[in-house]
Amino acid sequence: MNWIKRGKIFDPTQHALSNGCIDFAQSPQALICDSFVRVYFSTRARDPRNGKFLSHISYVDYSNSMDEIIDVSRQTVIPLGGLGAFDEHGIFPISPLRVGEQVYAYTTGWSRRVSVSVETGIGLAISDDTGKTFVRHGSGPVMGPILNEPVLVGDAFVIQRNGRFDMWYIFGTKWIEPSGNEPSARVYKIAYASSVDGIEWVRNGDAIITDVLDKDECQALPTVLKIGERWHMYFCYREATDFRSNAARGYRLGYAFSEDGRTWTRDDDNSGIDISIGGFDSTMMCYPHIFENAGRVFLLYNGNDFGRYGFGLAELEQD
Amino acid sequence: MFRWEKLGKIFDPTVRDTPPWMQEFAQAPATLIFEDRVRVYFSCRPPADENGQYVSYSAFVDLDRRDITSILDVSEEPILPLGKLGAFDEFGTYPVSVARVGDKFRAYFGGWTRCESVPFNVAIGCAESSDGGRTFARLGDGPIVSYSPDEPFVLSGPKIRRFNDKWYLFYIAGRRWILDNGRPEPVYKIRSAISLDGVKWTKRSKDLIGDSIGDDEAQASPDVILLDGKYHMFFCYRHGKGYRGKEKGYRIGYASSDNLLDWHRDDSMAGLAVSEEGWDSEMVSYPHVFELDGEVYMLYLGDQVGRYGFGAARLISR
Repeated sequence: MNWIKRGKIFDPTQHALSNGCIDFAQSPQALICDSFVRVYFSTRARDPRNGKFLSHISYVDYSNSMDEIIDVSRQTVIPLGGLGAFDEHGIFPISPLRVGEQVYAYTTGWSRRVSVSVETGIGLAISDDTGKTFVRHGSGPVMGPILNEPVLVGDAFVIQRNGRFDMWYIFGTKWIEPSGNEPSARVYKIAYASSVDGIEWVRNGDAIITDVLDKDECQALPTVLKIGERWHMYFCYREATDFRSNAARGYRLGYAFSEDGRTWTRDDDNSGIDISIGGFDSTMMCYPHIFENAGRVFLLYNGNDFGRYGFGLAELEQD
Repeated sequence: MFRWEKLGKIFDPTVRDTPPWMQEFAQAPATLIFEDRVRVYFSCRPPADENGQYVSYSAFVDLDRRDITSILDVSEEPILPLGKLGAFDEFGTYPVSVARVGDKFRAYFGGWTRCESVPFNVAIGCAESSDGGRTFARLGDGPIVSYSPDEPFVLSGPKIRRFNDKWYLFYIAGRRWILDNGRPEPVYKIRSAISLDGVKWTKRSKDLIGDSIGDDEAQASPDVILLDGKYHMFFCYRHGKGYRGKEKGYRIGYASSDNLLDWHRDDSMAGLAVSEEGWDSEMVSYPHVFELDGEVYMLYLGDQVGRYGFGAARLISR
């Protein structure tokens, strides 16, 4: 895999975003439309009650070549959940998917906790207006914690093939107790689920990507694409603690390949992309999304500061 | 109508010499019959912390099988420790319902966590005992019955039953949080799930019991017993707001079914109401009905939802 970086292509501070959002354009994910590419991302407002962040979904439409911004959403794409709901305090990210005439969005909903910062779950919201706005399928999640996936289920990436739905996602294995200046820290791993209807999912609590750091390695946001006969997965990973400001312990992109879409071989050395010497992705790379459009393969991703100042693009060099 | 003779309060943790974690409350009694005793699992609490917050543990008291007003033993430690940091059951294991599985015991319990915008969330966990039901170990760190699109939060009050070679779980699921003078209060309804092994559950995704006091009615403790070929459910219900006093507090309701799926509510049949005076004069709640040596008994909570223990009644006629 050899990627040609095209630099940062979206800066949220340069646009008027809905819901009073100013910073952050995290976890860009593409929906291929007739004559453009819609890229959803998560941006943030401040909760007026306590100054904490609230993540909201917005989108930006690009020309098919990804060279030109056509439009930016002005409306609320998905309202946040109600009092006590799993997605009351944020939706970050979503995985958009065309299903017939509708667009499904698999959301990661955030709600705040007391002893730890947050709990998450995977929700489903459905659009009947080509992805401009979405309505929740129920007020609860389609995937929450289970016996051996005890916390922090999230980061769904969903595709349809052979009449079934495949989901790659993450679940938390544990929270690490706080120590010193380090708050309680979560550990999460990539897993796989399948579904007939996109609502009821079958899963088994197995982590499918081996660790390269240690058992507390955090793996997030899997994105999967079949190119030719081979399956490719990108994701991001980091150390469990001291990852926010210590660049050496922060997010990098990981890579795995598979011949059958089920059994994966981790191969970060052949990811074909790494942080730059300078620029927007010089200390961190995270939240990758790969997609194909008109024979070209693109990689959207966030750089430094978890995408506070936008996301960038790379294109796969093909023979 | 069921007619009950009240036997008075049976167990009160506030007047006994109980350990610190069992200072107050004996909530949601649920029995298991042994050769010489009736074990009553219940949930209790240490005093509230400096912020007025409680944790809850589950425990048991053994009653003499020949005289259930006589106490033989009280558990010396909680039957289950609290859950791990960040887990669904970090701050409470309440209520609990226990079934025999071969020579083991399996407990289904409500696990409590604390939230920022609302006070708590609850999901149903599962644990097994290999020491005769005295202590239990979790099957996993996560819940066994968890949130779903139409059961978004507050899955609690599990009652485990086995009928016709199937496992039935009756429980409650939160519908919405409402504000009562700015304080979030949960509205919950009685639901059920079915399983072949007690581990993998299929939710019925349907309210079992219609409301009788409006949309904001909260229903709890769906306790099902098979008597004379018919299924009987005793439960409790309260108003959505202002329910901590007598007028809008918990009362005991009743429904019956021939197939465990379709239930007919008729609260006038329940036959157990608040007393004129005494420990159950403001509210009655969390009924549990069981058969013992030819008699039928109900255990239930009185005022302040069991802060001062639970009592019993004996069925006289129906």
